[in-house]
Parts: sequence; C-alpha cells; structure tokens
Amino acid sequence: MRWSSANRGGAEMAAIARAWGWFWSNPWVRTATRPPVTLSLAFLTLGGFLAGVIFWGGFNTALEATNTEKFCTSCHEMQANVFEELKGTIHFSNRSGVRATCPDCHVPHQWTNKIARKMQASKEVWGHIFGSIDTREKFLALRRTLAEHEWARMKANDSLECRNCHSAQSMDLSKQNPRAAAAHERFLFSGEKTCIDCHKGIAHRLPNMQGVPGWQ
Amino acid sequence: MDLSRRSFLKAQAAAAAASVAGVDLPAQAQNLSAGDAIQLKWSKAPCRFCGTGCGVMVGVKDGRVVATHGDMQAEVNRGLNCVKGYFLSKIMYGADRLTTPLMRVRDGRFDKSADLQPVTWDAAFDEMARQWKRVLKDKGPKAVGMFGSGQWTIFEGYAATKLMRAGFRSNNLDPNARHCMASAAVAFIRTFGMDEPMGCYDDFDNADAFVLWGSNMAEMHPILWTRIIDRRLSHAKARIATLSTYEHRTTDLSDDALIFKPGTDLAILNFIANHIIRTGAVNRAFVDAHVNFRMANTDIGYGLRPEHVLEQRASHAAEAAASQPSNFDAYARMVADYTVEKAAALSGVPQERLMALARMYADPGTRVMSLWTMGFNQHVRGVWANHLVYNLHLLTGKISEPGNGPFSLTGQPSACGTAREVGTFAHRLPADMQVNNPEHRHHAEEIWKLPAGLLNGEIGYHAVQQDRMLKDGKLNAYWILCNNNLQTAPNTTQETYPGYRNPANFVVCSDPYPTVTALAADVVLPTAMWVEKEGAYGNAERRTHMWRQLVSAPGQARSDLWQLMEFSKRFTTEEVWPEDVLAANPAYKGKTLFDVLWRNGSVDAFPVSQTAADYDNAESKAFGFYVQKGLFEEYASFGRGHGHDLAPFDRYHEVRGLRWPVVDGKETRWRYREGHDPYVEKGSGWQFYGNGDKRAIVMAAPYEPPAEPPDQDFDLWLVTGRVLEHWHSGSMTMRVPELYRAFTGAVMFMHPDDAQKRGLRRGQEVRIVSRRGEIRSRLETRGRNKMPPGLVFVPFFDASQLINKVTLDATDPISKQTDFKKCAVKVIGVATAQGGPAGNEP
Amino acid sequence: MTALARCLSLATVATLLAGALAAQEAPRLTGPTPFTRETPAPPMQRQLTDDVRRKRNYPDQPPLIPHAIEGYALDLNANKCLSCHARKFTEQSQAPMISVTHYQDRDGNTLGGVSPRRYSCLSCHVPQTGAAPLVPNTFTDMDALVEREPRGR
Repeated sequence: MRWSSANRGGAEMAAIARAWGWFWSNPWVRTATRPPVTLSLAFLTLGGFLAGVIFWGGFNTALEATNTEKFCTSCHEMQANVFEELKGTIHFSNRSGVRATCPDCHVPHQWTNKIARKMQASKEVWGHIFGSIDTREKFLALRRTLAEHEWARMKANDSLECRNCHSAQSMDLSKQNPRAAAAHERFLFSGEKTCIDCHKGIAHRLPNMQGVPGWQ
Repeated sequence: MDLSRRSFLKAQAAAAAASVAGVDLPAQAQNLSAGDAIQLKWSKAPCRFCGTGCGVMVGVKDGRVVATHGDMQAEVNRGLNCVKGYFLSKIMYGADRLTTPLMRVRDGRFDKSADLQPVTWDAAFDEMARQWKRVLKDKGPKAVGMFGSGQWTIFEGYAATKLMRAGFRSNNLDPNARHCMASAAVAFIRTFGMDEPMGCYDDFDNADAFVLWGSNMAEMHPILWTRIIDRRLSHAKARIATLSTYEHRTTDLSDDALIFKPGTDLAILNFIANHIIRTGAVNRAFVDAHVNFRMANTDIGYGLRPEHVLEQRASHAAEAAASQPSNFDAYARMVADYTVEKAAALSGVPQERLMALARMYADPGTRVMSLWTMGFNQHVRGVWANHLVYNLHLLTGKISEPGNGPFSLTGQPSACGTAREVGTFAHRLPADMQVNNPEHRHHAEEIWKLPAGLLNGEIGYHAVQQDRMLKDGKLNAYWILCNNNLQTAPNTTQETYPGYRNPANFVVCSDPYPTVTALAADVVLPTAMWVEKEGAYGNAERRTHMWRQLVSAPGQARSDLWQLMEFSKRFTTEEVWPEDVLAANPAYKGKTLFDVLWRNGSVDAFPVSQTAADYDNAESKAFGFYVQKGLFEEYASFGRGHGHDLAPFDRYHEVRGLRWPVVDGKETRWRYREGHDPYVEKGSGWQFYGNGDKRAIVMAAPYEPPAEPPDQDFDLWLVTGRVLEHWHSGSMTMRVPELYRAFTGAVMFMHPDDAQKRGLRRGQEVRIVSRRGEIRSRLETRGRNKMPPGLVFVPFFDASQLINKVTLDATDPISKQTDFKKCAVKVIGVATAQGGPAGNEP
Repeated sequence: MTALARCLSLATVATLLAGALAAQEAPRLTGPTPFTRETPAPPMQRQLTDDVRRKRNYPDQPPLIPHAIEGYALDLNANKCLSCHARKFTEQSQAPMISVTHYQDRDGNTLGGVSPRRYSCLSCHVPQTGAAPLVPNTFTDMDALVEREPRGR
C-alpha cells in the first residue's frame, strides 16, 4: 500500500495568512518599524554598539540552545521518527555510557559550517510549520531525500562529525575485530573511502537503498 | 570408485612422494574417502517442528542421523528449511536422553515423596495400572485423564483417543493444541460446519495483499514467510500489512505495520466490515446465495474459575457459545457503531492507516489473503476474532479461490492432522464428530467394533480445566505425553504445579528428555522421537505426510504409540467397562483392552510383512502386525465419503504428502469451490457443505475488553511467545549447541523509555511480577522486537525463566484456549534502590 | 597481610561469590528445584565477533554468522547482509559469497540475481554467543563414521 499525502494547498495558505497577521499585529514590530524622532546621534551609535553586543551574546546563546537534543526532539517529527529509532542503536546506549546526541552528528562544530547548517535547518522549521512530514507516512516518503542531504554533507566534509569522536588516528586495530580492522586499513586509512560511505543507517533506519552504491 | 584400505595406503604413500617431487597426481590418489564409505541413506520426513510441514531429507549412516536438508521435491518448502529444521539432525542426541523408565521409589515401592529412580518397563506399567484401576474403581472414568499433543503422530493420537474413550470410557483427553489453536478450530466449525482452512499454500503465489493479524511469521513460520517475501518482491502489486501489538521481524518486512492496543483487533475488524458495507463493497450475489447471519451472545466472561469475580459479573458466562439467528440489516446496524474514529481511538492506530487497510479488503480487484496464529487464537475473544475475519471474506466473497481467503496458520506439526482430524480434544471424535452427539458415538462404536452404548457422552476436561481438577483432587490418574505442560500452561505456580504434587494424584510423563514436567511427575517414561518411529503428520494446509522409522531409539526408549498399546494389555474389559454393557455383549468378556481395541480385525489386518523391507518398524515387530497401517486405515474409514477422504496408506509413503479430501487419487487445493472441490455441485459456485444448508455464517460480535488490563499497581501488558531459534519449551532446541548459542536465554523486551522511567538499562536483571507469581529475567531494549511503551515481551522457551508462573489462566470462554498474550505485570530492577530509580541522571 | 595475600583472598571471595551466584541459578533445561523457587537470571551472553568460520556439522548446514549483526537492516528498504555477501560485493568485502542455491527459484532454475525467496537471511543463518552447551550433544560427524586412515607421514 502507498498512502498518498492529503491535498494540503488550502491548509498552507491559511497558515501563511495566520503567520503574517501575527507578525504585524505584534506591538514590538510596530514600534520597531517607526522612524526615531528625538534621539541624538551619539546615543544611537553607542546604543547601537551595546545593542550589538547584547544581540551577539543573545544570538549565540540562542544558537547553542538549539544545539541540544531537548530542542531537536521538541518537534514531534524528530521525536516520533529519528529519535525513536536512535534509541535502539549503539549511539544511544553502549558499554561505557558515552552517547551521541542529535547535534553531535548533525551540527558541525566549526562556526561557519555551523551557521551554514543552521540556515539549512530553517527549512526544517518551515517543514515543521507546514506539516510536510507531520505523519509517519509523509516522513517515510521523504526519508530518502532527507538522508541523501545528510550523506552528501558528510561526504563533502569527510565525515567530520564522525571524526569528532572517532579519530582514525586514535584507532587501535588490535582492539578491532579482524573484519573491521581489515576494512579500515584498506579503505579508511588509504583515504579511499570516508566513514559515511560504509556506515549508513547506523543511527536511524535506512530509506529504500535502491541505486545507492554498495547496496543491492 | 572403490578404494580398499590397501590401495588407499598405497595412494597415500604415492601422494607423499609426489608432493616431495612437486608432481600433480590424478584425483584418486588424493586423501579422499569414496565409494560405499561415503554413501548415506537418504529418506524423506516432515520437519519435527511447526505447522508449516516442510519436507526434510534425512541422511543416515550406521544407524545415526548424520545430515538433514530441505527436500527439493516437497512442494511446501522446495529445498528450504529454517534454522531449526536445518539442525534436526542433532535434536535426538542430547547426552541426557532418557533411556530407562523412572519412578519415585522408596524401599522397593512407589512413594510420591521419594526421588525418581530407574525401574523396568514392567515395574512402571504395573504401578500405573494399579493406580489407574484404583482410581477407576473409586471414582470412575471422570477421574482419569490424559494430556496429549499436536506433535503426536496421527497413529499416536488415534491410539490415544481409542484407549481413553473406548478403553477407559473417559473423554478427559485433551491435546496441548488446546493452548495453540482451539479458537481457530472452534470458529471453523461454527462458521463452515467443518474444521480447517478452505485454501492452501498455493494462495501465497496468487494473492495481491497479505494481511497478518497477530502472526510474526518471519520467526514462527519462516519458510511460509519466504513464500510471502518471494511474492512481495516478484509481483509488482503485492503488499504486506501486519497488525501486531509490537514491532518485530515481520513488521520490518511489511509495507505497513499497524501497532494496536491489546485486544482492540476486534474493533478494527468490525470497522473494516462497516467500511465494506458503507462503501457498497458487499458482494450481494455471494452473500445472498451463500451466507447466513447470526448474532453472538455478548458479555461472556473470561474462562476463569467460576467463582472469579469476572465470571460472576459476566451476564452470559454460562452461555458463551450461544448465538441467535439474524440478518444482514441487523448485522450492518451492529457494525455501524465501529466508525474509523472509534476504531482509531480504541486501537491507537491512525485513521488513515485503518482506512488504507479497509480499502484493500473492499477493493474487488485486490486478492486478499488473511493470516493469523497466536495473536488471534490466544485471545480471550479468540473465537470472535476468527469469526470477524471470516466476516470480511464472506461479505466480499473473497474466499475459496486462488489468492483469496482467510488462512489460519497452525503452530504444531500435526495440530491439524492429530489434534483436530483425529479428534484428541475433550469434545471430539475423528472426522469432526462430537462426543456429545449420540449418532456420532454410535458411528464410532460401529467402526471400532465395540458394544453399542459403550462410549461416554459427557465432554471431558479441557487443558486448563485438567490442571484445575488435578489441583482440586478430582482428576487423580494423569498421563502427559509429548508435551511439557508445567512449563507451557498458564499460571503454573497457582494452578498447575499444585495438581502434579497433590498427594491424591498419580502423574505420569512420557518424554525423550528430563523436562520440567518430567521431573515433577511420579513416573517418567522414555520416549522415541521423530524418525525413531514410523509416523504421519497433518500440516496447516490439510496435507497428510508420512515417514519411515530411520533409526532406533536409544536404550529402552519406546514410542508413545507402543506405550499406549502396551499399557492396554494390563486391563481386562471387566475391570473398566460397565457390567450392563458386558452383560448385553458377552463376547467381549474376558478380553484385554489390547484385544478389543487393536486385535479387532481391522487394526491388525495387515501383516508385518507389508512393512518396508529396508526400514525397521519397532511397534509392528513388537505387536506382530503392521500397526501404523492398520490404525490409519481404520481411522481413514471415518472420513472417506464425508469430505475428509484420505488416500490409501501406502500412497503416503510414496509422495510428499497429499491435501485432503483426496478423491479418486486427486488432492483438493480449494475446498467449497466449484471446479476445485469434488464435493461441490455443478452450477453452485460455492457450497459450504459442512453446514446443512451449505451456507457459511457471518457472526456479529462486538469489541469486549481483555480480562486483566494494566492498572496503577501492575502497569504493563505482558505478551509471551516464541523465538525463531527455539521450539516451544526448548527441550529439543536448547540441547542443540548451535541453536542454544543463537538465542542463549530468555530476555524481557521493553521500550527504552519504559526502562529509563524505572531507572533500568539494557542487560540489567529485573523482576517481572504479576498478581500470581514472579520471575527474574534480563532487560533487552534492542534486538529483534521493538516494543511500544507500556508492553513487554518474554519468550517461554527457557526453563530457568518460567514466565508462565506470571501469566493468567484466562481463556476464550468458547474455545477454552488460554490468552497467553495479555495480562498485567510490573517490572522492578533487582538491584534498584527502594523508593525510586537510582543512578539516574537529571 | 601482604599485597599478594590480599589479592589472593580477594580472588577467593570473588570465586566463592561467583560460585554462589551460579549455584542459585536455575538449570536452563530442567528449571528450579523445587519448581516454586525464585532464581536469579544469569547475565546476557555476548555475541561472538571473532570472524572465525565454524565447521559445519554436515555439508547441508547453513553456515553460522561469526560476527555481530546488531542493528543490521533487513527490511524492504535495505538488506545489510547482501551488501557484503552478494556476489557483486564479495571482492570488496572479502566476505564469503552466498551459496549458488540462493540464485535459484522454487523450481531450481538459476536466476540472474539473488532469489527473492532467500531475502530473509536470518531464517537460516544465526549469530552465536560464547555460551557453553547446556549438555553435550552426541551427534556424530559423518567423517567419524566414514572409514579413513590418519593423514600424514
């Protein structure tokens, strides 16, 4: 069976209209958009600088607040799908209790990359508001596309988020099982492949893998 | 190539020389045994495990089974076996096989409080006969009983039913199949007037949609699952929808998994019927011509002891099986209540998924095969659940044709062949006849060549009732064969174990291995298993298949068939039959039960010389006639000409089984359907000829809640069941090292959030506690089963974790089959601090 | 008390403790004695991951899986087993190729790819833990029955 997503054109228009109305009816927005009439240039400059500092601090604080598992899973889409699937994997529970949270794998540590990822993420917020994956069926229908984005990003940055914890330099082959050791020696250390090439679907279930290199 | 020892040595020497010289020699010079030395004797047999009935080729050398593989010629499996089937070679060779009878003896005499000690067969049988005679004399036939098996051969089941009903005049014979598919069997008879599926495995190759209602086929029927997956991946339109209370390997390979709250499958089924009616998808021509409507009695209780508050409160506990005539309109009004909103609210399954499922049933262009096993049958409304799925197929006319049909899968290898067809249930006789029907009893007395009026018309104790009566001291001489009931019955600490150890009772257990049940018995009889005897099984698609005795049983182990027949020698008719019957039939006086039951001119009709020359047959040798053939031919005379026709005995040894009715040498694949079933008249299309008017029944029944839902004190649902690698209580598979290592011990599957809430983690030791008992297990939050919050799963194969100490002995009130899938428990960490979770991060 | 003695006594205590724990466990085949006794559950066994192939009991036996398969996808979207063991991936993976029988349909015709009926690998192939057998199994290997001379010189 394939469940087609319901016709949602009408719902989308209504949601846009609601968001627009809320924005303009907000008193802060109305004040902010009126021109100043009584303030000095110095006050505006100094005030602007201070406001900038406060804004910057606030921005980073807010940004970090979005880099938590709690924030990620506050959306039903993440909670019910990818986070639920993570719970059954080694990245959630394991021998030593060291575990990965969502941003460990999905948000770059380096600032410019992080901002780039956050700008991408605005699309996810959009998706949340407009319900593009608000049912399991819709999520499953989109899973291949969503997964491909993450695979492409990790391929492009040489699996940077994997390597934040799993440093190739720090691997001890004598502690790996022979099969893993041989594969790492042949493909990873030679630079022929990067982590994500082989380790797809280790934290979430896989989409239809037809046509993905290395799969049937 | 014949390589004698001498030439072999020469070849060895030459090879050694050649390797020094670096010369290649031809093949016969290499280190290779050949010729007769490596010849194995290959013979066919059905698999020993589930109801699929896979064909197996068994390789024997020097009197030992040394190899097995899937039989390419067997239509069921075409060369495939599951991992259990591939390891059949090793199930007979556990080092602790029982090879001598054991009895509780002190100072040379039976003493129930003594330990089990080796005794002779004569000593064991003498004591058994003494106890049986004492109980029969003191209390009559109602106080002796036997608990049999859907793993018995057809011959064994038939011998048991004759010995109990005709010999001891007791109907206290029930099979462990009562725990397994009684709901399906009862619903078949209530709906079609005849037991067992109308379709067959060929449906797998023709269906567009497979709907699994409470069946984890990927683990429990792995080879049938390969047929579904084959169809799913090869046929563009094929889809699989699985309904279950948790996710497992079957849902992994399904297009859709509908995870519903326990018991609410009834609401979903009624919603689909409602959808079919409201969207005009009812096949009116079919319904008008072939269907009657009835309304079931509601509020029927939960099959608990009558004094239980739930039984007291139920308005129809005493008339659970009753129903009233009805019509389409009344039925439509009744299901109209089951809207998609109501079904979604009750079941927790989103509306759009329920709608998609309903559309599949309603679409006349989609051939639908519905499949179920224990999720439906082990259900306090199991009979209703079976009815409600038949309703869907009858409303749409999607029945009895290739790819269209409801199909009840069975758990055990001969649940159909032995438990149902032979009639080893407390209420049944061969060929769907009933003990409480005087005509049926009379017919049986004629075939069995017994005095008229001998058979007892009172329905005997069913499985759960047997345990209760043992405990209450009303059932006192009890023989358990071919099952491990102390591990597999419900609520064992409260209801089963006390009966076995009740000083008033004498309990015998026949088994190849020292099981939990055997060790609690007073006498243990060592049993021959599988290919250590000639046998026949009947699988889920009505296929009867036979095998020869391929090896000998170890030591003094003897088949259940030999045990049942040999035991009958110890009773005379005067000791067990009423005086008036004997007075009216003086020819039966002075004879043993062996004489009247087996030396009756039909069971002993075939000489030993007719057994296969190249195979042994221990029973026939012991009794001096071809036992299996005689029993089979007498048994087959019950069904021939009555829709249960079996082929002549010898044919079954030539073929890979035949699906009954076998008429004019031809098997039947789709019953009740013109063109496929020789019993259906021309021009009728369909005839459900088990019922007088040849119509099937649509039974209206509502959703009713389970017996023991979770509450504040016991806040989780407990589901029990099997795993792929182990068969039932594990007495065979746990002794195969590879299977033991594949699933080493029972664990409790739980959702990670439920674990976290209790401060528990994977691998931790936990107590699983119900109102009846508790066990300890280990917590599993990963692996093959993914539980929803609020539900835990524990398999029952591990004798060190007897989960049935925890389960509830609630049954379907109509079929008396236990609900092993639904009771309330709480889970506590063994090492968790009192008063809340410890070691938990904020 | 010397360090060595302390070590030894600690080891003794540990051994005794382990022994006591083991003694309380119920036998996995026969259950607790008496039946009603409550018994601890032994720790879960770890899967073998040594990649060492186990000898088959007979040629027809499906080979056991000598590595962990936890989290491997085997669903309608993906089959992780085939991504190493299918013919086309074996050179890269150096894993044993699935048997030729797995390229045949129900009627024994050889196909151009893996047969769909062989898709559920885990129906026949199972991983193993390191648990010691509960009782010995006296199954006799056919090699022991086939008369053979000892190899070598």
